[in-house]
Amino acid sequence: MVELEDIRQRTWDFGLTIATVVLLAGLGLQSFAGTIYVWWAQTTIPGWEQSSYGAYVEAMNAIAAPMLVGLVVVMGLCVPKRLLSRRLLLWASLAMVALGGVAYLASGEIAVGVAIYLGFAALIQIAVVALTLAGTRGPSYLTEGRLVKTGSGLLHLGFIVFGIVVAVLQNSVAMLPVFAAAAVLMAGGTAMSFYANRLSWRRHPESRHEHPIDF
Amino acid sequence: MNIAEIPNQIQSAVSLVRMLGAPLEALLVLASLVVAVIAIVPALTGWRRGALLGITGLLVAGEALLVWFHWSLNRAAVVIDPSTGEVAARVAVPLWIESEKLYVWALLVAVMGVFARRQRDELLPGIMLTVSVLAASAAVLGKPFTEPLPQFLAQYDQYVQATLSGVPQAVVGAYEGMLNGVRFFYNTPYMWVHPPLLFFAYATFAISFVATLEMIRYRHSSFETTAYRWARLGYLALTIGMLLGFPWALAAWRGESWWWSGKVNMSIMMWLLYTAFLHARLYLRRKGMWKWVAALGILSFVVLVLTYVATYVVPGAHSYA
Repeated sequence: MVELEDIRQRTWDFGLTIATVVLLAGLGLQSFAGTIYVWWAQTTIPGWEQSSYGAYVEAMNAIAAPMLVGLVVVMGLCVPKRLLSRRLLLWASLAMVALGGVAYLASGEIAVGVAIYLGFAALIQIAVVALTLAGTRGPSYLTEGRLVKTGSGLLHLGFIVFGIVVAVLQNSVAMLPVFAAAAVLMAGGTAMSFYANRLSWRRHPESRHEHPIDF
Repeated sequence: MNIAEIPNQIQSAVSLVRMLGAPLEALLVLASLVVAVIAIVPALTGWRRGALLGITGLLVAGEALLVWFHWSLNRAAVVIDPSTGEVAARVAVPLWIESEKLYVWALLVAVMGVFARRQRDELLPGIMLTVSVLAASAAVLGKPFTEPLPQFLAQYDQYVQATLSGVPQAVVGAYEGMLNGVRFFYNTPYMWVHPPLLFFAYATFAISFVATLEMIRYRHSSFETTAYRWARLGYLALTIGMLLGFPWALAAWRGESWWWSGKVNMSIMMWLLYTAFLHARLYLRRKGMWKWVAALGILSFVVLVLTYVATYVVPGAHSYA
């Protein structure tokens, strides 16, 4: 029974990783297509920047928004998987996407819908980080696993906050401080995830963490 | 401050850097060829470390000359407020722009190659070939010593000529243009952090790419770990570097068409690919997954090179095209 649950968990994790990679690939393809289009437009259409750049940016934002939301949904399902139940997370994610959709329909602006969704996602992520930290007992908790999870949570929180900056805060006075918070979270979270072993009180030789590959 | 004397001071610095740098550039091309041969020919295996040290020394000597050149420019190139006659700013030209970009990349890979410990002997030929390609390209295409900083020198010369013309409108326009360049480009703290972090990341990714090729060649998991270690270091620098570009772009390019521009798109794609690479390797134990990870590692580096090239090819706010 335990083994079956373990297999399910691994399959779920693998599915989420594949979904992440597919969404990243989608955004990557969009970026590539955008580059080719900009190259073509700027070299063949006179005055393209003045006449059509705004429409191009709107189209790119509209294409990227669902993939960005999808990425944050996957993050939300992925990171706290051992802290909250899968069913609860699925329902919470669906409800948040629905609220973002309603905000979009009410305001007529994609950025507002995305920001509302990201705001809720940030709250959940903060809860995840807090639960990760609260689950720790005493100084001996600083094992690599705990640090990696905390780092990953902070990194994902930073990504969400950065998404909010891009979506709605570009022209706000709050842009710089919020951006700085996002940058610190992303950089600190990445460093904690990658270098957990070196930051840990209980250090292990890094060779232990090599992945034996079946070539 | 007599502005009429500034062009002569700059010209003497340029002349000196050309005189000392011209043989250095030729030597770099020659050294690149020698290093490439030593990397490829198995009989010369014993010479490899010495060859890498040699070309690294050459690159460091060249960088020292460039540091002196930039320092001289900083002493000479000032921006004078036309209303007061006082010096409003000294231009601090960074060491990683225009003709010096490839040079910095080559230097960083070489230094990392010298200090790399893990699987150094196996990685050495790949690192040496990378350094030789970058160093030769820096000397032949960049020409940092024989054609130093062409855009900055032309821009500053225009500023001086307009100031000397005495035409009030031209003087004020030239002053404001140069001061904006100083505030938002040359002297801004972003310029002194954002590009170096990206070049640092580019250098680590180059070594990660070499290790990925070695993994494919030898089919040994330890090379994958080496590739990952270099990639995670680069990813950290890349993430911080790219993030810092965002508020800078908002401040410096207000009203300009930079969002979703060619260079920005390519940079986002590169970051996404490295993100995918680092995620995919979590499942290396699955059968056949290593092929996907290797493919992502190679694709990411190819896109990195294209991102660099896009600066010169795809027009836009972030471009030399």
